[in-house]
Amino acid sequence: MSTATMSMRVAAALCRLELTERLRDRWVLVISSLFALLAAGASLYGRAAGEAGAALSGPSLVTLVSLLMPLVGLVLGQDAVVGERERNTLGLLLSLPTSRLGLVVGKYAGRLLALCLAGSVGIVAAMLASAPGQAGVLLGLLGPTLLLGAAFLSIGFLVSALCRRSATAVSVVVALWFLLVFFFDLGLLAALVVSDGAIGGTTIAALVQANPAGLFRLVMMSRFAGPDLLDALGVVGGMPGPAAEAAMWAGWIVLPVVAGGLLLGRQKETR
Amino acid sequence: MRSLALSEISVRFGPVAALSGVSLQSQPGEVQLLAGPNGAGKSTLIGVLLGLVRPDAGQLLVDGEPTSPDPAFRARVGYMPESVAFAGNASGRDVLRFFARARGVALPRVDAVLDEVGLADAARRPVRGYSRGMRQRLGLGVAILHEPELLVLDEPTGGLDQDGLALLWRLFDRWRQAGRMIWVASHELGLVERRVDRVAVLRAGRLVAEGSPTALRERAGLAVRATFTLTNGVDDATAARYAGNLAASLAARATDVASLGALTAVLPVDRDNGQPRARVVAELEPTALAATLQRAARWSDQAEGSGIAGIRVEEPGLDQVYEALLAADAAGRDA
Repeated sequence: MSTATMSMRVAAALCRLELTERLRDRWVLVISSLFALLAAGASLYGRAAGEAGAALSGPSLVTLVSLLMPLVGLVLGQDAVVGERERNTLGLLLSLPTSRLGLVVGKYAGRLLALCLAGSVGIVAAMLASAPGQAGVLLGLLGPTLLLGAAFLSIGFLVSALCRRSATAVSVVVALWFLLVFFFDLGLLAALVVSDGAIGGTTIAALVQANPAGLFRLVMMSRFAGPDLLDALGVVGGMPGPAAEAAMWAGWIVLPVVAGGLLLGRQKETR
Repeated sequence: MRSLALSEISVRFGPVAALSGVSLQSQPGEVQLLAGPNGAGKSTLIGVLLGLVRPDAGQLLVDGEPTSPDPAFRARVGYMPESVAFAGNASGRDVLRFFARARGVALPRVDAVLDEVGLADAARRPVRGYSRGMRQRLGLGVAILHEPELLVLDEPTGGLDQDGLALLWRLFDRWRQAGRMIWVASHELGLVERRVDRVAVLRAGRLVAEGSPTALRERAGLAVRATFTLTNGVDDATAARYAGNLAASLAARATDVASLGALTAVLPVDRDNGQPRARVVAELEPTALAATLQRAARWSDQAEGSGIAGIRVEEPGLDQVYEALLAADAAGRDA
């Protein structure tokens, strides 16, 4: 049997194990329920506020998703490798016939499926509670929501592969969440003010997209507010086309997790 | 796998030399023990074997050919780490089913292995509720699931009760009879000494000694204790006299046996089923044992009114041999 076949088999088994474990995990259950409750609440509030309010269900959900999904992704990913190391099971897993990258990819796939389930439950809850005609709009959020979660899950895996202790990984992902979700935009704003307009809209748009949370917001703003708002913000020229957007999402999802696997492989001692 | 060797393995972690030029070799049907104090490099050596630690120098040889511990090699190896704590709410059965899927083992084998390691009744209970011994049994189950050619066990005896130890020894026998190999790291030398074929003693990353337990005993040069029991005495004084005669007879011939001069003591006469019992205890170099027993038998044949009723030979335990080898190594390094 070829090495590739053995690695695939291990990855498939890991994917299944991770999905099963995450579905049994109370934390995942709690966060899924919370997301579903808040999403349904946003839809119900919009529905109660009449036609104008119903139209705001989508943007409200975007705000909720942009805060919650990065956190879910980071927390789901942060103990994937370092948790095994602390439980003394990393060596046992690595004694299986697979590469380190294969191990990380298998674990990532399982956790990604769990994250997709949690995200889908929230969006479906929002759709069920939405005003007539809004369900289709909200369904359109499902793809970007899962892409955002997948990107931050990937970043969480990279952090997990780099850290030697779970406590460190938790601290790093919390710091990253604050940095990328809250402070990144503030930092850009500060840069704009300090530079007194010297930084152009294209540069700002590129910098926003350098952060998956920023990319998500930009894409959602384009979808819900249209090009006029982006033009007013001065970033319309820097908006990515569909192919560039797909490439950026692919980069954010694939590169960190692959880097995590490769870095794990370069470590002298992996136990 | 016809042979397995680690050749001139060196590993450094920063300024610390975890292993320095260690070479070991195993043949089919052998149980190789890795012994040494904490920090000696046993687990690092196992890590190198499994590809979990990248050596700075040296190589793995399988059937004489340089090999990397890649997935193809690891498919032939079963590993049980020290103190495994499986995550989450998984049951013992879930854990084994995962490893069965990962290794392409048919799922019905899982129940057979659970039965073999004595966890059939606890198979559906979450592993987090298992005792240490039960986790060790589960770890053994994971290691043997795919009937690997090489079994690598890191401190497998910890937490095992008598039944667990019996299970472990059965596995040792089964692997040996099947012509497979076992590498086992253990601190409990007294437990494993009669179950292993070769012993490697490590200290501070260096191989201090390697060989069969018998060869290491001879190398350590520790005395063998022979106790001769005489039970034919009619009274205590006579029994004591016979014992004295035996001691004197052995000592008189001491000139042509290197260490018979080390004959120790005639023990005080005591009673055995109401009869006076005298004992002579001799501390001998292992090489002097055969000649001493022959002389004692000759004396017994020629003695009038008495004879040797029993002989007990006590070899030094592997733990004593290990201590002596480490002490000799330390003394050599100090010198």
